[in-house]
Amino acid sequence: MSYIILPDVVHYACTCGILKPISKLYFCRHCLELRCGFCVCHEADSHYCDKCAENLPSSEARLKKNRCGNCFDCPSCHQQLSTRAATVGPKNPDDPKAAPRKVFYLLCLLCRWSSRDVGIPDQAAVSGGWPERENIYAHRLQEIQDMYKAIVLSDKQQKLDKDKKKQRRYMSFTDRTGITASMLRKRIGWPDVPNPLLKAKPTELNNKAIAKEEVEEFPEDLLTSPVNLSLATTMEQRLVQPEWQPTTIDKLFPIHKHLSVKRSQRCRSCEHNVSKPEYNPNSIKFKIQLFAYYHIPEVRIITVEPLRAGKVSELLLKFSNPTQHQTSITLFPYKVDDVIACEDNRTEVISQSSEEKGSGSQPSSITHTSLTRQPSITIKPRPIKTRVVADVVVPNASFVLPPRDDAAEYDDSGDAHNIQNDPKIVVWRKSNKAVIKLQVTPNSDLNIGDEVTTAFTIQHIYINTITTVENKEPQKCEHKVKVFLTLGNLVGGS
Amino acid sequence: MPIYEGIGTITDKLVVVMDIGAAYTKLGFSGEFAPRCIIKSEVLCKESGIMRNIRDYKDKEDLYDLLVDFVHVLYFKYALLSPKDRPVVVVESLLCPTIFRETLAKVLFCHYKVPVLLVVPSHLVCLATLAIDTALVLDIGFSEAIAIPVCHGVPVIHAWQALPLASQAVHDNLRTALATHNTGVTLSDWNLEDVKVRCCFVTPQKRSIEFQKSTPNLTPCPEVKYPLQGSNSIIIPGKVRETMFELFFEEDNDHQCLSTMILDAILKVNVDLRLQLAENIFLVGGTVMTPGFKARLKEELYQQLNNERYSKLKIKTFKFHSPPCKDNYTAWLGGAIYGCTELLSMKGLSRETYLKENRLPDWANMKDNLRTL
Repeated sequence: MSYIILPDVVHYACTCGILKPISKLYFCRHCLELRCGFCVCHEADSHYCDKCAENLPSSEARLKKNRCGNCFDCPSCHQQLSTRAATVGPKNPDDPKAAPRKVFYLLCLLCRWSSRDVGIPDQAAVSGGWPERENIYAHRLQEIQDMYKAIVLSDKQQKLDKDKKKQRRYMSFTDRTGITASMLRKRIGWPDVPNPLLKAKPTELNNKAIAKEEVEEFPEDLLTSPVNLSLATTMEQRLVQPEWQPTTIDKLFPIHKHLSVKRSQRCRSCEHNVSKPEYNPNSIKFKIQLFAYYHIPEVRIITVEPLRAGKVSELLLKFSNPTQHQTSITLFPYKVDDVIACEDNRTEVISQSSEEKGSGSQPSSITHTSLTRQPSITIKPRPIKTRVVADVVVPNASFVLPPRDDAAEYDDSGDAHNIQNDPKIVVWRKSNKAVIKLQVTPNSDLNIGDEVTTAFTIQHIYINTITTVENKEPQKCEHKVKVFLTLGNLVGGS
Repeated sequence: MPIYEGIGTITDKLVVVMDIGAAYTKLGFSGEFAPRCIIKSEVLCKESGIMRNIRDYKDKEDLYDLLVDFVHVLYFKYALLSPKDRPVVVVESLLCPTIFRETLAKVLFCHYKVPVLLVVPSHLVCLATLAIDTALVLDIGFSEAIAIPVCHGVPVIHAWQALPLASQAVHDNLRTALATHNTGVTLSDWNLEDVKVRCCFVTPQKRSIEFQKSTPNLTPCPEVKYPLQGSNSIIIPGKVRETMFELFFEEDNDHQCLSTMILDAILKVNVDLRLQLAENIFLVGGTVMTPGFKARLKEELYQQLNNERYSKLKIKTFKFHSPPCKDNYTAWLGGAIYGCTELLSMKGLSRETYLKENRLPDWANMKDNLRTL
């Protein structure tokens, strides 16, 4: 299965214009388009700790600041800490019957850092009660935060009041004459009312920070004492604890392990999931997995004759049908027609509403304002930048690929399918696979050593088994996908 | 995934606060007092397999792809939530390039479908951590040092000062210095930063003056043997350890350095505010955490006051603020304080508005600068 990762020679053009190997593509069965990691919408599904494999509901994960309550990371090398047990003497050593006590401490098995190094007392319980540190400025910052909240709130209130005042029922003549209320008051000799903005200061800034003339003094001992590098922390060790950023290793404290998240992917245009994992962190299965690998015919390169500029070489490709339905494949030459359509960059973003359809039949809980789907945005596909430098002569005829049958792999009795092969195209065939012979001509202006890339469009019959209200029968449709093949480098000679 | 969150938590929404710096990105949630993570602002390039800093972009499309990958990492590795339905507060410098902020907005709105975005200027919001509204803010980050006075809650942009005197300059300085002392050794960026952080410091002014003489009459601090790849090691001389940050205080051909930046910024502000600014200097950014930096800057400021060009400043004392947090995430903390107020709903840019306008409001754009009476 090494081909799934490397070598990366066969690429499919995703609908968004990015070339990816088939193993990294999704196929949305609802809009019958290829999708990739770039053009699907990722969502966080379930939080879990990857050490203890505990599943946390997202509200609890949020409460614990996305960290596991039981597992710790080493503050020195960021590996996982293990809990170690040690026996100490009984509480009252005079009593001969007293059993020795067990205490626990944390130890990093990689760098040998232990919680005893920094003076954290050993704990009597396995799972903890490890001391937590508080931000020393928390109280002050909470005050400041509350103050700003109050200020902005009163601002908002004033704005609302102002808007209310504007909707006066009666027209004010002072506005017409240019005489404002305050001018009028002055003329009559009444005291001026102070500006309402000045009056309503919510909580006066009585706890302003006070600047000091003194700053942190220069640490004189830096000039005389030699530096012990093993006592000073590195940037990584500091930044992993942003709140404290210890500069010396005696201030390193164990870090609660950061949680991981399972993601689901959603098609941007139809809002259906293309991939959804199971919630259980121990399970590697999927609830929904619309991977292109299970739906789109796969192309692999068997061999290619040495490529010479302007000369015809023979190319053997293997096509296999991963679906349960027979399909027919037609090849078309690659065209760069849609590049022009994408050049108009100004209207890159089109907003389209997908909300109208079907929202009436949904239960009321789903149509709650915060839960309804927002109108989705489609981003225009970007032009494919890969240069195609070799022509492929595509056959006019199409060929048939039988359905995939896992049992046939072990059946050597020959094919049961009676398929008339065109010997000019199909050179070999077994169960759901067929090898096709094609002629490639690299462009004559290429130099020796240049990479040769060729492309063609595959059209295959896709049987859509999704039943909707309107049609219960599986739908037959033709799907086209562009395939790019990196054939290797041009060689010289004849 | 609002369904799994329960009804109670839908009401108070988690607001993501991000400060994408040149070297490090600070990410966290509003209402918290420290970022959840401080990570390097770089992503793995899938084609070439190397880490690329997101500021090293070739063009707009390249930046878009880098930011898509980077924001993906931020959300699914660190924030662990779906970007949809979450408001975002972005803390950015007032001098952030238009292409960067526009592309970031496009990535957040179009690719990640963020509902509301609030962009706050870093120099202004870091004052929220002090609960004051007038100060001279000097931000020394990775690529440049920017000083902007903030008066009564308004950044005075016409008084801005910026110089490329920051971490990167120190790294370059250190690279050449170490290359002369250890021939044939090439240090990676990681090593340079590590040497800078663990060995170097800012020396006091009187030692610095002594170092500039041809025969310095002092003993440099002890040298450090820095291990490099197994048994190899390099020697970092004491003089290198002390003098790496000197370029911050050496005046360049235009007679500018960190201390003149502060004074020039003060000079450009109204007379009435100058004394107040001098007594409210606020240093932010990771570089100011260097040992001895603040003490040295204070010395340099008093030294500059004797200079002819600053004689009309009647400043007697300089006073400095110390934030209730570590200096490298002060701006983020300010953004987090702004993010938990109602400001998000009042001033935030919603996706609908963005899609209509297709641009981000900007102080440099006359369209947003029209004086409304």
